[in-house]
Amino acid sequence: MKKLTLATIVGLGLMSGSALAASAWTGGDDLPTNPLSCDATPAAAVAAPYDGGVPTNPPDRKGKKITVVDVPKLIGIGYFNATSKGITDAAAELGNVDAKTDGPTKANIDEQITFLDNYITSGVDGILFAANDPVAIAPVLKKALEKGINVVGYDANSTPDARQWFVNQAQFNGIAKALVDNMATEAGEDAGVAIVTSTFTTPNQARWIAEMAAYAEKCHPKMKWLETVEAQEDNNLSFNQATTLINKYGDDLKGIFGMTSVATPASAEAVTQAGKCGKIAVVGLATPNAMKPYVEKQCVKSVVLWNPVDLGYAAMMVLRSVADGTLQPGATTVKAGKLGDLQVINGSEILLGAPYTFTKDNIGQFDF
Amino acid sequence: MTAAALSPGRSNLHRFLSGYGQEIVVLLSIVALFVVVGAINHRFLSDTNINSIFAGNAYIAIAAIGMSMVIIAGHIDVSVGALIGVIATIAGTLAVSGYPIWVAWTVPILFAIAVNAGVGTLVAYTRIPSIVVTLGMLSILKGGLISATAGEWISNLPPEFMIAQMRPFGIPSAVWFMVALTIIASLFLRYTDFGRSIYAVGGNMEAARAAGINPERTVIGVFALHGLFAGIAGILFATQLQVIQSTVPPNLELTVITASVIGGVSILGGTGTVIGSTLAAILFACIGSALIFLNVSAYWLRAVLGLMILATVLADMARRRRAK
Amino acid sequence: MTVAKLFRHETILAILTVIAMIVLASLSDKFFTLDNLLNQGRLMAEVGLISLAMTFVIVTGGIDLSVGSILGLTAILLGVFWHNVGLPLPAAILLAMVCGTFAGWVNGLIITRFSVPPLIATLATLALYRGLAEGISEARSVRGYPEWFFFFGQGEVLGVPFQLWVMGIATLIAAAILGLTPFGRATYAIGANEVAARFSGIRVDATKLWIYTASGFCAALAAVIFVSRVTTTRSDMGTGLELDAITAVVLGGTSIFGGRGTIIGTALGLILIQALKNGLALSGVKGDGTIVVIGLVLIGAILVGALFDRNRGG
Repeated sequence: MKKLTLATIVGLGLMSGSALAASAWTGGDDLPTNPLSCDATPAAAVAAPYDGGVPTNPPDRKGKKITVVDVPKLIGIGYFNATSKGITDAAAELGNVDAKTDGPTKANIDEQITFLDNYITSGVDGILFAANDPVAIAPVLKKALEKGINVVGYDANSTPDARQWFVNQAQFNGIAKALVDNMATEAGEDAGVAIVTSTFTTPNQARWIAEMAAYAEKCHPKMKWLETVEAQEDNNLSFNQATTLINKYGDDLKGIFGMTSVATPASAEAVTQAGKCGKIAVVGLATPNAMKPYVEKQCVKSVVLWNPVDLGYAAMMVLRSVADGTLQPGATTVKAGKLGDLQVINGSEILLGAPYTFTKDNIGQFDF
Repeated sequence: MTAAALSPGRSNLHRFLSGYGQEIVVLLSIVALFVVVGAINHRFLSDTNINSIFAGNAYIAIAAIGMSMVIIAGHIDVSVGALIGVIATIAGTLAVSGYPIWVAWTVPILFAIAVNAGVGTLVAYTRIPSIVVTLGMLSILKGGLISATAGEWISNLPPEFMIAQMRPFGIPSAVWFMVALTIIASLFLRYTDFGRSIYAVGGNMEAARAAGINPERTVIGVFALHGLFAGIAGILFATQLQVIQSTVPPNLELTVITASVIGGVSILGGTGTVIGSTLAAILFACIGSALIFLNVSAYWLRAVLGLMILATVLADMARRRRAK
Repeated sequence: MTVAKLFRHETILAILTVIAMIVLASLSDKFFTLDNLLNQGRLMAEVGLISLAMTFVIVTGGIDLSVGSILGLTAILLGVFWHNVGLPLPAAILLAMVCGTFAGWVNGLIITRFSVPPLIATLATLALYRGLAEGISEARSVRGYPEWFFFFGQGEVLGVPFQLWVMGIATLIAAAILGLTPFGRATYAIGANEVAARFSGIRVDATKLWIYTASGFCAALAAVIFVSRVTTTRSDMGTGLELDAITAVVLGGTSIFGGRGTIIGTALGLILIQALKNGLALSGVKGDGTIVVIGLVLIGAILVGALFDRNRGG
């Protein structure tokens, strides 16, 4: 038996060795990448035909009171609290929307589908969602469309034909460019960097990592990717993983990317507690409140994120426009209340804007 | 296997080794891990890394002490992870609402003791299996926590609240707690009447009753003690970082239970020591860290971890079989 | 005796289920509709299949924590065999199911051959199988299955979801085996007293090996239905499913110490949980509230059962 165990361990070791030899940035997905140009030239907007879905015989909801349910990936984390707040704000501003947020307590495709299914049965007028998996969620969303329910996604997309519109917080390649450029500036062109992500199966994170790898190869070819570690959405685990990376690579590690709003502050904490402020740069996605202590102490120079409250707000506004029939396939912009006109991209996506970089100078102005 | 390798003549040592067999297997695994990984990457042995392995996981070891007692008494608690999440949230809330720091430290612990004493009472007097009560408790604590906090992070914690970050004599206080509580708990289990009655109840409840032990009271006491340890673990968990997440730490109960059983606590009750569970918690932390140091592909990390748990268990079974 | 029999756990549970149904139906007019109930059956099938095998496992006094991971591993293998290896889809499905069943057999082997307690053995394989799923897939999804494959998870036969038929037939088979056959009697005997069962000539190890293998098979079957329902494979599929299944089985009156329990009880437990989840959601209770209610019902139902039990047993 011991021999068998040993053989298995050796086998696994070999497998892991070969997996490592592949040397793409671990944690990226296998979809095609589209890195932006290295300078600040914005990508040309390509006009694409509408590729979203269409609800079957929706009742006339123009100006009428509608009930809307928001089903995020999971409830009980700061990020989706913020989007939920944006949705509630927008609903209050509109006055003719009855919105509530409900969802699973862990990012689980099965539970999210069950929640959606129940709300379809209970007869809501509109669904807002942030998908745990773009494909897995598609059948239940299509069912909603068949029942005449208006469906709008935000934060994490589904396949386009399973929903009407998707409010895109920032394009994947835009986020990737912002993160990698910031890292190159702060840690140096030839820095050794590591990534702390949630799980490899989280679609947004996997997409960002793939785009980051592509962009780094194109524009910062000397940047050396060392390792990616998983840390769930868990503060303590993120801290432990980041600390282990710091211990392992010593001075070879010049920068850590935090891929979630949990991983980034935890990585900053790890750098702080290791006394490596200024020696190891932390760049990542995070909410300003969690990052204020580190930014103010100059341990972290820049934090990249969109405003999640605005994201929820925009999603609600878009859903209202769709229900009212004012947003039709083929539109190029949509009015989103206090956010003004938002641009339509990729056929059926609405772009919230470019990702925002928080620094010491402006972080104090934000509270979310 | 260690025990069997010795000559039968040295009976005292032999008895000692077979009594602590599993603990020694785990201890040797830790030492072997340090030697092998340290040889491959000497940074693994740096004091900062050893420090973070111990300090970052001490709360798991402490929770595993209480869990071991529960398992020794023949029960189990699958709600401990949820309880630790709730304790951390209560402690953080009290600390930022201006209560004195000692209140923020002690009230959550008292709460944990009360909750688990309640669980213990249900288990002892209604004879509902503990796994059922604690499964239910897991749901109640988890759902309740989300309803109450909506996952709002607690930040701006006062620096004097951060007990886990304090370093008396240069060693993190979490490590002091882990060592001290392990020693106290093992002395308690070995030398007090109540400690011995836990083994008796876990070994054979009716026999324990016949010997004059009140099994119901013992079970309630064990759960209350478990609450105490979970409470301390929760406070250390809460004070490790600058923010408290107000959620249930994922899979923490599995980690704690695994540490207890790998450490030599028989899931059937009646045997085991808390030294073993503490060592096992450290072993896990070492494995987690070592796998990163050994460049095991991140995708295969969990598979290797599972295999290592399995190997430890099988080695223990082989040892017991030879010891017979 | 007859009166006492009336107050078996299953009877109490059935009454509780009916009361819950009536209350939920009065709270929301969307609840007690054929459409909704059939749909709930669809959502329940995967946990249901696993719970059936889990009933056997728990009746022997064991437990299987690795079922969620076996589901994930089977799903990943199905995708990998079809997409990466290039097998025809039916062959990939079969081969993946064989692997899932094999994973269950390995559990049984570790438990019987090396006498590792089931909780520890399956705790280890919980991590191992999930890890294999992650490693093999490198966390990548396989999508784009042909249309016919979606029948298992989304199709209907005579107006009833396909997986509800599977679930129904599996329930009947499981109930017959546990209630009527020597194998079922052996299962109870092992749970009641393993040593005594061994001495009375029951092939304890073989029986257990069969049961854990069946548990792997049920998880594999559930995996195929799950993949077909959600049209993609992911390595995190089925995470936490083991607790749902155990909750249903225990709520159904199966003693966690072994020796007692019925398939009917498990089925009722499943229905009650699903009805609560669905009915409460339809009447406007949020998910976190529902979790609390399910926790309370679990403790409450077992408490009532235990009280009646004590009165009867004296």
